[in-house]
Amino acid sequence: MLRGFALVAAVAFLCRHFLSEEEDVILQPGKSTVMSWIRERELSFIERLTANILKAGPMPKHVAFIMDGNRRFAQKAHVQRQEGHSQGFEKLAETLRLCLNLGIHEVTVYAFSIENFKRSKEEVDGLMELARQKFSRLLTEHENLERHGVCIRVLGDLTLLPIDLQQLIAKAVVATKAHNKCFLNVCFAYTSRHEIANAVKEMAWGVEQGLIKPSDVSEVLLGECLYSSNSPNPDLLIRTSGEVRLSDFLLWQTSYSCLVFQSVLWPEYSFWNLCEAVLQYQLSYRSLQKAGDLHREGQALQQMEADRCCVAELLQHRGNGKPMDAQSRQKELLNYTASREERVHCFLNALQHKRDTVFSDLSSQAVVA
Amino acid sequence: MDEEYGGFLSETIVSNGRNNSRLMEGILKQQQELLGMDSSKYSVEFMKNGTDKQEHQVLSCQSVVKVLSPDDGRLSIVQAAQQLCRAVELKEKTSKDINVTVLDSLLRESKNIPDPDLVLKFGPVESTLGFLPWHIRLTEIISMPSHVDVSYDDLFGALQRYAMCDQRLGK
Repeated sequence: MLRGFALVAAVAFLCRHFLSEEEDVILQPGKSTVMSWIRERELSFIERLTANILKAGPMPKHVAFIMDGNRRFAQKAHVQRQEGHSQGFEKLAETLRLCLNLGIHEVTVYAFSIENFKRSKEEVDGLMELARQKFSRLLTEHENLERHGVCIRVLGDLTLLPIDLQQLIAKAVVATKAHNKCFLNVCFAYTSRHEIANAVKEMAWGVEQGLIKPSDVSEVLLGECLYSSNSPNPDLLIRTSGEVRLSDFLLWQTSYSCLVFQSVLWPEYSFWNLCEAVLQYQLSYRSLQKAGDLHREGQALQQMEADRCCVAELLQHRGNGKPMDAQSRQKELLNYTASREERVHCFLNALQHKRDTVFSDLSSQAVVA
Repeated sequence: MDEEYGGFLSETIVSNGRNNSRLMEGILKQQQELLGMDSSKYSVEFMKNGTDKQEHQVLSCQSVVKVLSPDDGRLSIVQAAQQLCRAVELKEKTSKDINVTVLDSLLRESKNIPDPDLVLKFGPVESTLGFLPWHIRLTEIISMPSHVDVSYDDLFGALQRYAMCDQRLGK
């Protein structure tokens, strides 16, 4: 009986492999679908087989990459640093395609840290120029980006960048804003601490504007004020080149993510490296789900407790000496929670609007040659 | 040997606050058993999202053990954020005054936990599970299979790996 079962399983698996449609973007025949940011890359037979085996298990929906090792690669290959960074970009384009092939529709990458401004002027200028080229090129591929539903977001303190680059970035972000088939978040002029401090600053702004109260500040609200608020937390964080630290990248968002450190240098990253990381994610999946669920339960309890305290305070202020019965107390609590949620909702809309305005203003200033 | 590696060792438990007290008891008991007369040289501090009530004198050769809980992570940052927002409400500060330095010093004020240089992570789960997100921005994370029967060699091996790390700090 076991042999029969194994046979059925094998047949089912092979059918799935040969008949499965790629979950990624469907390429229309006859039209140019070349995009500089997402390479054309067919999976080989064995790669497709492996992909399908992996997809039988839980798959990450959002993967973050610390693309480390460009300079060491350049040294190894006896080329200029700038060439290392260039190849790094090519590898990003290829890896995005591989992620789409695996059904991973959201990717966040650490392209440029605020700490990287400490590098030589030559290298920093070179990286800014590379960014200019890539964003400019992106803007010419608008049709393909729309067809494939690619949404580009840039996270960081963009005011630290040259103004022309800010404008190019803004244009790319605004142009792809409505796309929703796959998401690429590029962290540029970014550190996690700056992001967290900025989120706190925005909440303080909300208090200044009278939109929220200090007691509305919570773990959930802080998360919604980060640059990455439109994305779910990464399921998997991969760092290449053998370093085993987070280097100020997504510290808040990856608290419950699977961390995989791989020794391969970024420009040499392969499909197999990606599969290895996904496998690691699958092995940690159950524990991480449990930890995440437990954490979310804790967050909900904390929020309820905070709401109760606020209601108690309010009732005390309002109090006429008469103790309230449990039913009225419960009603007050529900009312308070509803009004807090409404306040927070308005605040988050105002924040989103503020951010959108910055981008649309910059975008309309941009003059693309 | 302890003197050379004097510094902070911290452990965190993922599940709930009850386990913290048991861990604390366990540590104190072990301290007595292993260190005997020397145990008074090493202070053990029970944090549990509380504040430093007493400043322990940290001599260069003294080891301090701080036992943390999940609340010392994101929740501490949230509490600092609430404090800043209250200050803004009272017009003692403006939102423009808030930056990394301000938030960092506020976090250090209530709980003086220095940024760990090294995190030794025990167990098969590849995640920090909420451990001190703010503090671990540059921390080397070395995984060990289990905390049960950890040998001196295992620990020393991890320290050697740490010594080989090359931090370029963005440069």
